[in-house]
Amino acid sequence: MTPLRIAVFGLGNVLLGDDAVGPFIVELLRAGYELPANVSVADLGTPGLGLPAYLSEADAVVLVDAVAARGEPGEVRLYRRADLHRVPPKPRVSPHDPAVQEALALVEFAGGGPRDLLLVGIIPEHATLGAGLSERVRGACQPAIEAVLRELTRLGAPATPRAVAQAPNIWWAGQ
Amino acid sequence: MARITIDPVTRIEGHLRIDAVVDGGQVQKAWASCTMWRGIETILRGRDPREAWFFTQRFCGVCTTVHAIASVRAVEDALGLEVPLNAQYIRNLILIAHALHDHIVHFYHLSALDWVDVTTIPQADPTKTAAVGESLSDWPGNSDKQMKAVQAKVNGLLESGQLGIFANGYWGHPAMKLSPEVNLLALSHYLQALEFQRKANQIVGILGGKTPHIQNVAVGGVMNAINLNSLATLNMDRLYMMKDLFDEVIPFVQQVYFPDACAIAGFYPEWFEIGKGVQNYLAVPDLPTDIASTAFDLPGGTIFDGKLAGVRRISGQRDEYFRKGVVEDVTHAYYKGRGPQPPWQGETIPDFTDFQDDGKYSWVKAPRFGGKPMQVGPLSSILVGYALEHELTRKWTDLALTRVSAIAKRPITVDQMQSTMGRYLARAIRAAVLSELAVRHWGLLVSNVQKGDATVFNPPSFPKDAVEGVGFHEAPRGTLSHWVVAKDGVIANYQAVVPTTWNASPRDEQGTPGPYEAALLKNPVANPEKPLELLRTVHSFDPCMACACHTLDVEGRTIATVKVL
Repeated sequence: MTPLRIAVFGLGNVLLGDDAVGPFIVELLRAGYELPANVSVADLGTPGLGLPAYLSEADAVVLVDAVAARGEPGEVRLYRRADLHRVPPKPRVSPHDPAVQEALALVEFAGGGPRDLLLVGIIPEHATLGAGLSERVRGACQPAIEAVLRELTRLGAPATPRAVAQAPNIWWAGQ
Repeated sequence: MARITIDPVTRIEGHLRIDAVVDGGQVQKAWASCTMWRGIETILRGRDPREAWFFTQRFCGVCTTVHAIASVRAVEDALGLEVPLNAQYIRNLILIAHALHDHIVHFYHLSALDWVDVTTIPQADPTKTAAVGESLSDWPGNSDKQMKAVQAKVNGLLESGQLGIFANGYWGHPAMKLSPEVNLLALSHYLQALEFQRKANQIVGILGGKTPHIQNVAVGGVMNAINLNSLATLNMDRLYMMKDLFDEVIPFVQQVYFPDACAIAGFYPEWFEIGKGVQNYLAVPDLPTDIASTAFDLPGGTIFDGKLAGVRRISGQRDEYFRKGVVEDVTHAYYKGRGPQPPWQGETIPDFTDFQDDGKYSWVKAPRFGGKPMQVGPLSSILVGYALEHELTRKWTDLALTRVSAIAKRPITVDQMQSTMGRYLARAIRAAVLSELAVRHWGLLVSNVQKGDATVFNPPSFPKDAVEGVGFHEAPRGTLSHWVVAKDGVIANYQAVVPTTWNASPRDEQGTPGPYEAALLKNPVANPEKPLELLRTVHSFDPCMACACHTLDVEGRTIATVKVL
């Protein structure tokens, strides 16, 4: 049997405070863990309607992103496909508007898209230019990574901690 | 009288907001506003100019490559640094592939459903649809079988009552006029387009190392090692892999996108009378073909008051007409300012107030050229190219207008392209022009490499004194320019004047509205609760706020509100 193509995608703008949490977690994951060959990891930034192409190239997708939800900053929320479908899409004005929900609905209507989907959402405190991650969101990184690791295990592709952890490549932080 | 506010809050903060006062079925006054601080440039001060592009490509998650390349061009301009031919061609191919991707996405996935009513598709006759497809083009993907399959998919969705991707359309709106067959044909292409936008993006990946954020750019050239005999570098295999992808994307552009845009324009000819707005146009030359960036395959220039005969050419980044022409006004923007400033002296000091109809109301500055608001985008590029008798632009524009006129059964002229529909059509014309230039630039790269030239990079060196540079790019949404001041090897000032800043600009010192605001005047709105016609004109500009704060909304909120005045 061909192994599942599993993709972990960090979403968010690295220049905008807590919006960077998705890409940040992707870098922590890369630096700290050995991943099976069928697991790819990428920082996709804010791809808007570029996202369907990435969704259509994987059997299982784990998205890590800042989410606007009622709750305390730093809370980690998990969403499955059905949760995302419950949010109605909105009229599009700019290419960023088609959010994850719409990208997913689009690939599904076209007959593709991942069979498995998990969104690991982190409630941000601020999305302010150049501010870096807030303390509360930084504190959410470990539980968020654990949620990603559990999903990889569930999918039959467990990650293992590196014997010698590398320094994560958080190139956008600091001067 | 009613006031419509369209303010999508798909992200936590910041977005394009449109306000329009509607009376007697028409827009009487309009405001375009960005609800988010766009001061990303401040993050660049004090950094190494060689790494600026790595940050600027994060300005916007959709147009990553365009900000990377405009940035290195700006620094190269400041240093007077030449760019090896291979690097020019590689960058040009990345820019072309990105633009094809972007134009396809805009037409099908961002705006087609403003014109195509999906809910009529069950009434379509698939055999007749296939015949309509064949009458428009030789594309092999228009078979009876394909149309039946797409129709079945749509029927399934409509019967389920869960409209999914189509849940937000203004279905059954009186401004929707296409036959069920044309709607089915368009939707079939909407689905096929997903595949071709992906392939266009793969080309960017082959050259750029990665998508969506390319890795191969450098001040002074590119970092693609070229060795035709090495597997690890840009070799013949990779060059042909790219060629194969272009060979799939180009027919889609020429045989599907272009004819579809002509057909939709022909079926909605009244939209050539709507949305004219600001008739000053700015486009910059692009696709340089020499190391000094003085010869280009796409011309640039300005047109004022809609008079094509008065076109003035912009010769390149060194042209003082461009360098001295651009200023930014902050009278109605949430910034402190002392009158219009050239970008090199530009400041970005926030001064937030509430939305004030007659005061400050936007985070977008108001760029002006020679004191005038300018429209940028494919329409500007096509009108300037047409006026300057650029051969490829003339060829595809004339072909488009012939087709549109035949379908509309009335003559549509190049002057009528100064309209909402003209902007859609111009984008398809530009895609067709670029699709031909893709082949040319691929050939230029291959023959240069075969001559034995493997140079990709000229190392930069930075003087102690302050140097100023501008880098521009005619991006999918129009003229983009990055303005840099470097001193002693670090960035002293950096400003990006992005296409949507030109088009979505607020009023200026004189109270002159920006292009969106002007284009919306007299725009019909049959039902303020369903402002479809307004979205058509806004979408014709392909808005993008270049700030991309995108925090995902998982709970859903309303976006369009209507208040009776």
